[in-house]
Amino acid sequence: MELLKTVVEVFLRTYPGFLEATLTTLQITAVALVLGTSLGLIFALMKISRSKILQTIANLYITIIRGTPLIVQIMFLYFGITTLIVLSGFWAGAIALGIHNGAYIAEIFRGAIQGIDKGQREASSSLGMTRTQSMRRIVFPQALKRSIPPLGNQFIITLKDSSLVYIIGVSELFSIANREAAQSFQSLETYLVVGVYYLVLVMIFTYLLKLYENKLNVDK
Amino acid sequence: MKKKFSFLTAVAATAMLIAGCGSDKEETTDNAGSGEESGYNLKEDGKLTYASSGLYKPFNYEEAGELTGFDVEIGAAIAEKMGLEPNPITTPWETITQSLLASNFDVIIGSMAITAERAERVNFSDPYYYSGGMIFVPEGSDEITSAEDLEGKRIGVVAQSTYDTAAKGYTDDVKYYNSDVVALNDLTVEGRLDAVITADVVGFEAIAAGLEIKDVGEPLWIEQAAVALRKEDKELLEGINKAIEEIVADGTYEEISNKWFERNLLDVDLEGIDILN
Repeated sequence: MELLKTVVEVFLRTYPGFLEATLTTLQITAVALVLGTSLGLIFALMKISRSKILQTIANLYITIIRGTPLIVQIMFLYFGITTLIVLSGFWAGAIALGIHNGAYIAEIFRGAIQGIDKGQREASSSLGMTRTQSMRRIVFPQALKRSIPPLGNQFIITLKDSSLVYIIGVSELFSIANREAAQSFQSLETYLVVGVYYLVLVMIFTYLLKLYENKLNVDK
Repeated sequence: MKKKFSFLTAVAATAMLIAGCGSDKEETTDNAGSGEESGYNLKEDGKLTYASSGLYKPFNYEEAGELTGFDVEIGAAIAEKMGLEPNPITTPWETITQSLLASNFDVIIGSMAITAERAERVNFSDPYYYSGGMIFVPEGSDEITSAEDLEGKRIGVVAQSTYDTAAKGYTDDVKYYNSDVVALNDLTVEGRLDAVITADVVGFEAIAAGLEIKDVGEPLWIEQAAVALRKEDKELLEGINKAIEEIVADGTYEEISNKWFERNLLDVDLEGIDILN
């Protein structure tokens, strides 16, 4: 009961800072998702293309990204690229998160595209469509529908993973929580409160995804 | 057909919208040619961008979303003396020197103590305060009464701090934190840490906040906190030293120091105590 009281106190004291940080967290997540989805699509198409070179490039990217921790990638981008271009923490973090997600999303798309029945493609080519046309009009729309649930999952992971960019000094939710705890000496309560913020964000996200899935199902 | 792509479009639109609100964060600053009128090579024109961890109460911490503390105010006073606008930022302590060298900000004003090892990579200004490295233990502990008792004990410190080096001299069992406050907090949890080494003032602040810990003995050494700069910024170093001299001379320094500590931090009897460098 005593804990509940202090948690409420911490919540009321910290919400201005946390709300601002929520926006930053969402911004990083959004940039990462757009970049990740675009990269994912490009690399998925490369992976299923007939060109050996494109396949190799895509495989290399996916292997390297999936084989190294996100926090290492963030650090690498923040400190490693500065010799070429100075990135602010926000952009370094968002881009790293995007590149990281691209590899996972590429695999989601590839699986979905390859999961579409061969007959679909055969049928469209017997209608006289080119490979590209059948991909765009027949295969991909169905694949996209199938990839919504795993994509949604990946999006939620991204939102939570955005907390890792605290390490390069971006003022998102987790780093604000660190500062709040350092200031008030109330670590337990502060991390509890910030956990609730993430939880609420993920729940809103899940709900929106559900809506979208239902919308897609109408035209089944 | 359009409808099928609406999902991606929706994502893109959201992102544009969201990224649009954050335009204040979207700067990939080109370092060249800024601060021309001041002659300093600054991250942002007319601003002194200085960094601290923001996790080191009472020297630098955040209150109601505002960065504040002794370091932050001294930084502001230095900037004003140089005719610049103060722009304090926070960055994790473990990588603060790398960030400085990568030109993510102009200088570190974050209670960084002068050490020979650090001086190989960065330049230090004249010290702007002295503080003591102090041992803190759990309130009920009577095992540790002096530095000798630290032999083989489990000590908590912030990685890359001067206390880190000291702790390694006493024991192999060092636990690393990214904030002194978290380390001090862990003292109050049964069986996690035997002692924490940090600045006396920081520990006293925690005690004042009701943390059940106590200090042991005399300060282990005195350290000099100074502004850290990149080696190539020679004019900036001169400017900062001059500003420090001025704020000490005109009483600004004393005013800030009294506000935070009810004493002047530069008024320390250095006779017979180890000065770390």
